[in-house]
Amino acid sequence: MFDLAILQQGLPLLIAGLWNTVWLSALGLILGFMLGVIVCSLRLSGRLALRRLGGAYVSIFRGIPLLIQLLFIYYLLPRIGIEAPAWVAATAGLALCCGAYFAEILRGGFITLPEGQIEASRLLGLNEWQILVRIRMPQALRSTLPALLNEVILLIKASSLISVVGIAELTRSAQNLAASTFMQLQFYMAAAALYCVVNMTLAVLAGRMEKRFEEARA
Amino acid sequence: MDFSVLTDHLPEIAHGFLITLLSWFGGIMLGAILGLLIAIIQLGAGRWVRAGLRVYIEIVRATPFLVQLFLLYYGGPALGLRLSPMAAGLIGLGIYGSVYFAEIFRTGFLSVPRGQIEAAHMLGMSPRTVIRRIQLPQMMVLILPALTNFTIVLGKETPILSIITVPELTFVLTGIGSETFAYVETLLALCVGYYLMAEFCSRLGQRLESRMGRYLGQQSSGISSERNTAGART
Amino acid sequence: MTQTSQQQVVLEARGMSKQFGDHRVLEDINLAVKGSEVVCLIGPSGSGKSTLLRCLAFLEAYDDGDVFVEGELLGYDRGANGRRLRSRPARLREVRRDMGMVFQQFNLWPHMSVIDNVMEALVRVRGMKRDEARRLALEVLDKVGLPEKADVWPSRLSGGQQQRVAIARSLAMSPAIMLFDEPTSALDPELVGEVLQVMKQLAEEGMTMVIVTHEMGFAAQAADRVIFLDQGHILEQGVPKQLFRAPRTERLAQFLQNYLQRNEIFRDDGKEGYR
Repeated sequence: MFDLAILQQGLPLLIAGLWNTVWLSALGLILGFMLGVIVCSLRLSGRLALRRLGGAYVSIFRGIPLLIQLLFIYYLLPRIGIEAPAWVAATAGLALCCGAYFAEILRGGFITLPEGQIEASRLLGLNEWQILVRIRMPQALRSTLPALLNEVILLIKASSLISVVGIAELTRSAQNLAASTFMQLQFYMAAAALYCVVNMTLAVLAGRMEKRFEEARA
Repeated sequence: MDFSVLTDHLPEIAHGFLITLLSWFGGIMLGAILGLLIAIIQLGAGRWVRAGLRVYIEIVRATPFLVQLFLLYYGGPALGLRLSPMAAGLIGLGIYGSVYFAEIFRTGFLSVPRGQIEAAHMLGMSPRTVIRRIQLPQMMVLILPALTNFTIVLGKETPILSIITVPELTFVLTGIGSETFAYVETLLALCVGYYLMAEFCSRLGQRLESRMGRYLGQQSSGISSERNTAGART
Repeated sequence: MTQTSQQQVVLEARGMSKQFGDHRVLEDINLAVKGSEVVCLIGPSGSGKSTLLRCLAFLEAYDDGDVFVEGELLGYDRGANGRRLRSRPARLREVRRDMGMVFQQFNLWPHMSVIDNVMEALVRVRGMKRDEARRLALEVLDKVGLPEKADVWPSRLSGGQQQRVAIARSLAMSPAIMLFDEPTSALDPELVGEVLQVMKQLAEEGMTMVIVTHEMGFAAQAADRVIFLDQGHILEQGVPKQLFRAPRTERLAQFLQNYLQRNEIFRDDGKEGYR
């Protein structure tokens, strides 16, 4: 039942899948983060309409299951005349969804900053842009870093869902190998192990950062 | 767009919705019971048992739910474990949920002041009575926001069961979609359906919280409403 | 077991010690409390008096020596080869069934009304019927002067009232000995009196009590014996009059001196509080 040789032969394909998982996640992460910054600033904006818009975005993309979002994008894009490769649709789907989560995390970081600091900065003659870039951004980023890293783990796990639209990332590769070799258990276990390696490394990193942050605060 | 596809297939859709609700509810129950057990064992068990549980928790947290499902459903038979899609889905949700529920319960247990437990021990209460009468009732108020939140998260995982052919809402509607080519209509219906489910659950949680807060008097309701705003979905 | 000649000893520590990590908190403590005796433990903060009390209740596991409650070894069982093992929870409960404890922080259960706090153990541990338990609970609440607060939430009570409820809760189980861990230290000064009053009444009724306290006036009036603890050792003990009037050790003299000074200064200021 347990054939090490076949597992060994399949390994390069799994690693290739892992590579796809990593770079698609990274791309989704970067785009999602940028989106998150935009949505976050909408939600913190002075205009009610913009705040509403940001709120609606977060509500929709966090309220609907990612799988449905992915299917929606995958089937809808061709319908409205956009012929994009599957991986583009998949990455866009990941980015749109995790943008909503990033926006909320960042907002949490911004609204906990003491108002007194901002007032002090204004009194010192900094303009609003300088306050945002020099005072608020660095602090918000630093305090939310553990949560952001945790979100990255969730993103990597969520990226397994893009296997559904046929992209040969880690889960899909395992699926293909499992089906062709009939060694289902082994290949899924191997895939799970690879996910563990990546995500546990990230979790340890997040934990360390959190600790350092708490120490710096104490 | 033509939404008559939906009305034409209403019985199937209703059945799928029922399966979704069943697996959601079943997953919560199984996950919560397992999670509570894990949390209780973590409280009192020796070092090695705790370490073992820690490993279980970390592995489940680090792997995607879809891979866990594949392991159970496709990998199970190699170990003599032949599960129907629905059984695999329920057990999968239960296992996946158990680790998150365990963390929620663990923080809950730790939130009850040590002294109250010591007082109970000095009055002769057994550990079981202490958990049931002193710790659980108090922590429920505190962890309710987290429980509601995770219930919604778990609900949003149920569409993944469609991938191992559990005939739940997503499976039924995407099936109808590919039969009739009414992708947009069926997917829109899914979006609205799941969104409303999450919204309903979150409203219900908030109502439950305010009621429990009132029941516990001022002190505790202060804490819970603070938690509520922090954990609320927007 | 070996207690035939000292039948009236309720609680006894023999050569007990306790350490946290490398720090030895208690060293060779020998102490026997007889029935109806009121013992006050005094000493500077960090002297180990609270730890001593907690070890006597086995809320902290002592390391060496023995503690006997009515002749039964507390917290440990003798193994076959003479080595001792931690008691199972059920055995521990059985040995300390006659022991009540009152804490500095009251530790009432905030999700239960006052009467439910008192009834809980009666129903769940003693297996009493609810109406019977309620009658007994009202009786002890009456004893601590709070019969009208039965159906109130603990959070609605003052600290002094909460502590009296805690005493009632412990008293309801009709213990043979009650331990008090700084029962008035968390209270506003004007609320200390009502709690001490209840404790004095208990003492007069013949309750066996071990009290960790900073209230020297109370110790002088109510205690049969005062024990001065310093750096984990019992440095001096005796009847209050002898101990307070003629301390034999420099440490105790200094401790009492500090205490008197602190209280005098505030009396001169005319301020009510000392916190």
